[in-house]
Amino acid sequence: MKLDAATSAGDIPEGLLEPALTVGRVTPGSLDDQVLAFPETKPPKQWYFALAITLTAALIGVISIGYTFITGIGAWGNSSPVFWAFDIINFVFWVGIGHAGTLISAILFLFRKRWRNAIARFAEAMTIFAVICAVIFPLIHVGRPWLAYWLFPYPNQRALWTNFRSPLLWDVFAVNTYFSVSLMFWYLGLIPDIASMRDRTTSKLRKVIYTILAVGWRGAATHWQHYEKAYLLLAGLATGLVLSVHSVVSFDFATSVVPGWHMTIFPPYFVAGAIFAGFAMVVMVLVVVRETMELKNLITMRHLDVMNKVILSMSCIMGYSYMMEGFTAWYSMNEFLHHGFMNIVTGTYGWAGWVTISCNILIPQILWFKKARASYFWMILVAVGVTIGMWFERFVIIVISLHQDFLPSAWRIYKPTMVDFGVLLGTFGIFFTLVLLFARVLPVIATTEVKAILPDAQPSHHGDEHHA
Amino acid sequence: MPETSYSVLGIFETPDALMKAIPKARAAKLGEVEAYTPYPIHGIDDALGHRKSPLGGMVLVMGILGAITAFGFQYWISAIDYPIITGGKAANSWEAFIPIMFEVTVLFATFTAGLGMLFLLNKLPFFGHPVLSSKSITGITRDRYALAIEAEDESFDSAAAAQTLKDAGAIEVEILPAPDRSPFLTSNFILRALGGIFTACVVAGLAMFFLTKWFPLLAPMKYMQDQPRLNAQKASTFFKDGHGMQQPVAGTVARGFLPTATGTQEEAASLVNPLPRTKEVFAEGRKVYVNRCEVCHGSLGNGVGSLTAAYGGKPANLQSQMFREYPDGKIYWAIVNGKNAMPSHAPYLSENERWAVVHYVRALQRAQNAKDEDLKVVAP
Amino acid sequence: MSQNKNASPLIWGATALGALGVLGSYVAAGHERFWANWVLWFVLLFTLGLGSLFIVALEHLVSAKWSVPVRRIPERLATLLLPAVPVGLIALGALPVLYPGTRPEAAHHPILAGKAFWLSIPFFSVRTLVAFALCMLGLAVLVGGSLKQDATKDPAFNFRARKFAPAFMAIFALVITLIAFDWISGLTPEWYSDIFGVYVFAGAFLSGLAATALCVLYLQDQNRLEGVRGDHLYNLGGFLFAFTVFWSYIGFAQYMLMWYANLPDEVIYYKVRLAGSWRAITICLATLHFVIPFFALVTRDAKKDPKRLRRVAFLMLGAHVLDMYWLIFPVLGTKPHFSWPELSFALFFIGGILLWIRGAMQKGEDMPVGDPFLREGLEFRL
Repeated sequence: MKLDAATSAGDIPEGLLEPALTVGRVTPGSLDDQVLAFPETKPPKQWYFALAITLTAALIGVISIGYTFITGIGAWGNSSPVFWAFDIINFVFWVGIGHAGTLISAILFLFRKRWRNAIARFAEAMTIFAVICAVIFPLIHVGRPWLAYWLFPYPNQRALWTNFRSPLLWDVFAVNTYFSVSLMFWYLGLIPDIASMRDRTTSKLRKVIYTILAVGWRGAATHWQHYEKAYLLLAGLATGLVLSVHSVVSFDFATSVVPGWHMTIFPPYFVAGAIFAGFAMVVMVLVVVRETMELKNLITMRHLDVMNKVILSMSCIMGYSYMMEGFTAWYSMNEFLHHGFMNIVTGTYGWAGWVTISCNILIPQILWFKKARASYFWMILVAVGVTIGMWFERFVIIVISLHQDFLPSAWRIYKPTMVDFGVLLGTFGIFFTLVLLFARVLPVIATTEVKAILPDAQPSHHGDEHHA
Repeated sequence: MPETSYSVLGIFETPDALMKAIPKARAAKLGEVEAYTPYPIHGIDDALGHRKSPLGGMVLVMGILGAITAFGFQYWISAIDYPIITGGKAANSWEAFIPIMFEVTVLFATFTAGLGMLFLLNKLPFFGHPVLSSKSITGITRDRYALAIEAEDESFDSAAAAQTLKDAGAIEVEILPAPDRSPFLTSNFILRALGGIFTACVVAGLAMFFLTKWFPLLAPMKYMQDQPRLNAQKASTFFKDGHGMQQPVAGTVARGFLPTATGTQEEAASLVNPLPRTKEVFAEGRKVYVNRCEVCHGSLGNGVGSLTAAYGGKPANLQSQMFREYPDGKIYWAIVNGKNAMPSHAPYLSENERWAVVHYVRALQRAQNAKDEDLKVVAP
Repeated sequence: MSQNKNASPLIWGATALGALGVLGSYVAAGHERFWANWVLWFVLLFTLGLGSLFIVALEHLVSAKWSVPVRRIPERLATLLLPAVPVGLIALGALPVLYPGTRPEAAHHPILAGKAFWLSIPFFSVRTLVAFALCMLGLAVLVGGSLKQDATKDPAFNFRARKFAPAFMAIFALVITLIAFDWISGLTPEWYSDIFGVYVFAGAFLSGLAATALCVLYLQDQNRLEGVRGDHLYNLGGFLFAFTVFWSYIGFAQYMLMWYANLPDEVIYYKVRLAGSWRAITICLATLHFVIPFFALVTRDAKKDPKRLRRVAFLMLGAHVLDMYWLIFPVLGTKPHFSWPELSFALFFIGGILLWIRGAMQKGEDMPVGDPFLREGLEFRL
């Protein structure tokens, strides 16, 4: 009875309409020709130049890690009472970067946000590369990484079992599960795209490689049915997983009694921070990809606009968390909490606290303006700021909380060494090397998923919902 | 490759055309109707009459299995097989098992979803399907929508199927041969696969050996072991006497080994056994007696131990009248200081252990000389 | 509709009976118990209204289309914030009785002395009034504007709502945190947990969702929401499912961290709730608020099954009541109180809420007919 009245409501005014997800005429065929052609063409000079830089950085990292192995963990600045420092900061930082990929590929999938389709592939790839960078740190921090398999519970002649009551062991399970699931999610998404590449390539070697990787995918409707169901289930499971992984990482800190670590808000706050940092990294990389790979028609300003909005909302959630942290430090009337919080804003490392607050809370507020969300300058500034800010946030949590705890006689200032910086630089090198390789080897945009949301891609009686 | 035709592919340019053709192709009843598309088409499952995907149920079952497995595993290890208290947490701390339980649930569920879809439901990898070697495949994975009428038997009328598809609006029709399933069934393939698995096992084994046995002893890796520390039972140049392990300072007394009963045996007669007569104390005393006393005094305390014959001595018969009437303190004194051929046991029995064994000797004596009323005490 | 009219005297009667019981309990059951009940129902009423308003704001924030046809339901439920104001003002009477921070001896308490001003009656009341004012602002802009749009069909409202929604989210965060810290954790002012606001938010949002789902199903039965299909129900069910998990995640994380660190000033909160009969209630809460709804809604078909959705929504509302009871009532002592005063309060407030909602449901259009996105929302398919 209400339907007639409803449909008689006025047309949707210009300002409320969302811009299209693609610019210009994009057909399934043109999409393939545009995206799948990259692996078949020779990379430009700039690509080699960039690869040289990232490989150099990676090499510095490898040398620093090698030096650490030869001399021991003493090569780092870690010393009593700051036993956790760069290693764990970088671990948390990189795991966090990965979370954006899972958010885009899983959570936004469940919310049926179609803008995710064009950027999901890149974000997922970044998840995997970031987790690879992250696992380096606990591995080298154990001192003897070739014995790291001791972390797994397996029957052994020493008749020892791992301690399941330790959050560090939860981490082993969480990060390994996260990596395996992300890898599988990514690979499943790639299969139809690789099948397209298999059928269009003329090179014999590529044909063999793609044939194996595509496991004989032939696009049968029965296969798609199971595939879509699997994708939906994986998205649901990955959503829970992404919440749990950074929560488990936060448990490493929050289960302790160290003031500044023992906060009940840590689990959701870590997850929000991870998504925040991850989105900043995705924006940074996507802007470069969009410009250099001529993908402006597929990764539109609307994509960047929405991602900037996500960054802004995460920034606000971070602001709420910082506020609650400060409020609790006062409200609890606990002198240790209070001292710990004052250390963040006024102590020896107070500058780091302020870098965190300004980069994570103050600078991103510029994104309230539509113009800023549409300007490369501002969005890159914010993204770089957030990356720095989130790194320093972990510095604040770990170093500031540790360097002054309950025992004043044990207080000490922490100073990182060149080796610390070398390893950090190295992981950035490894990360961007992998990103560069990925951009030239595999389809950077999930062509299959984008094809499915192009205009006229679906039978007309189902078409209405796709007017984005 | 066998020449019998297996299926006919009709190619369509738009999803609309495909969807319109599906009912016509199904109505012809010439064989199974299947579609091949570059991406999932909404509503095609209903049009083709597909049943619901069973994947959801599989994932739920495996997820629950994962949860149970993880919890059981952690519970068994932490509370049964290796119950060590750490951080003041009870051996069975379910709160601490939740995170791993969750992760393993997700792991089981996702692998069921992903691999179950690929291997079990879609029966991939399969490289012998005729669609893959058809000339239409380049279109199918790009921007064409194919409808196939498929049949396994030889009476399949490919011409009629081709006509049906053409009538339904196909712009192109291709007749395909039967699937080539051979590469996976030949003994050659199986042999190669087994060989591959064997090689992989050997390589993995060698790699593990290298990684765990040899690699840690290489130059930079072993630096962690070569620490400038003092080893017990080893020589060291650090101390003057050249020993890594030093004697304790003169007069050092270990906990529980305070010198007691230093006077004569008669003076010790007044000492009172401080331990209560509990099950635990008797068990402790029995342990000490079996380890230290039994070889000479015998399991009954009658002075006939397993060593008595070989040794030729005459250990005290603790069941004798004299020892039954001995006060506790005098037995204690004998344990501490030794008596006749018996050496002092003070260096390796703590005070509690000595007193426990005294209780046990008393129990032995009473057991051999039980009276009627003893039975009454035990009875309830 | 006829069934509806028959039910009316019954609800009126029950409410009146409840009112008698409420008055009686003030006289006979002791002031502490009376005020604990009053605060419980104030918090329930407020979280239900605020949670519904949050659903409305969320739709504008993320420009969701599917929820446009059912938006009028949470809008109507959000008007419960209006009766929540007088109820809340009366609840201020509980401050000197139940809230230790307001007592004179707090000034000498080792922990409370430092924040005595924060906990004092005047500042407490001012914060509550500010929270009410902010809620009224949100209600006026989001709900008032939407109702006006029915007649004007002016899309200017959509522009305004989208602009206002982010600001409302900030308001919402502040208000729900204030309510959680002041009204609930203020009962034990020595205890602190910085996640507490989020915990109460999860419960509030869930109660709003559950009430929305129930009302949607009710209106559907009366054929008043033509065009709302299983696809819309699926989304509602999906949100219920997701936030059941979210609530459990927050609740478990808070408990686990306190259990693990085992600090005396924190674990006391759970020590009380895990002893004696409260232990059984805690286990009930976990079962009703997580285990049953989780397994009831885990499959895809279950989320669009109206029958099951109705049962789970009922259960969620009940579980939310239990949740707040579990948070508030231990202040009365180690034994859970439940007898005629609690029943009277439940009758009075549930009856009152039902009457209010019934009144709201009879006014105006059942869908936001002026919203330009209504058509798109109705055409929504999974």
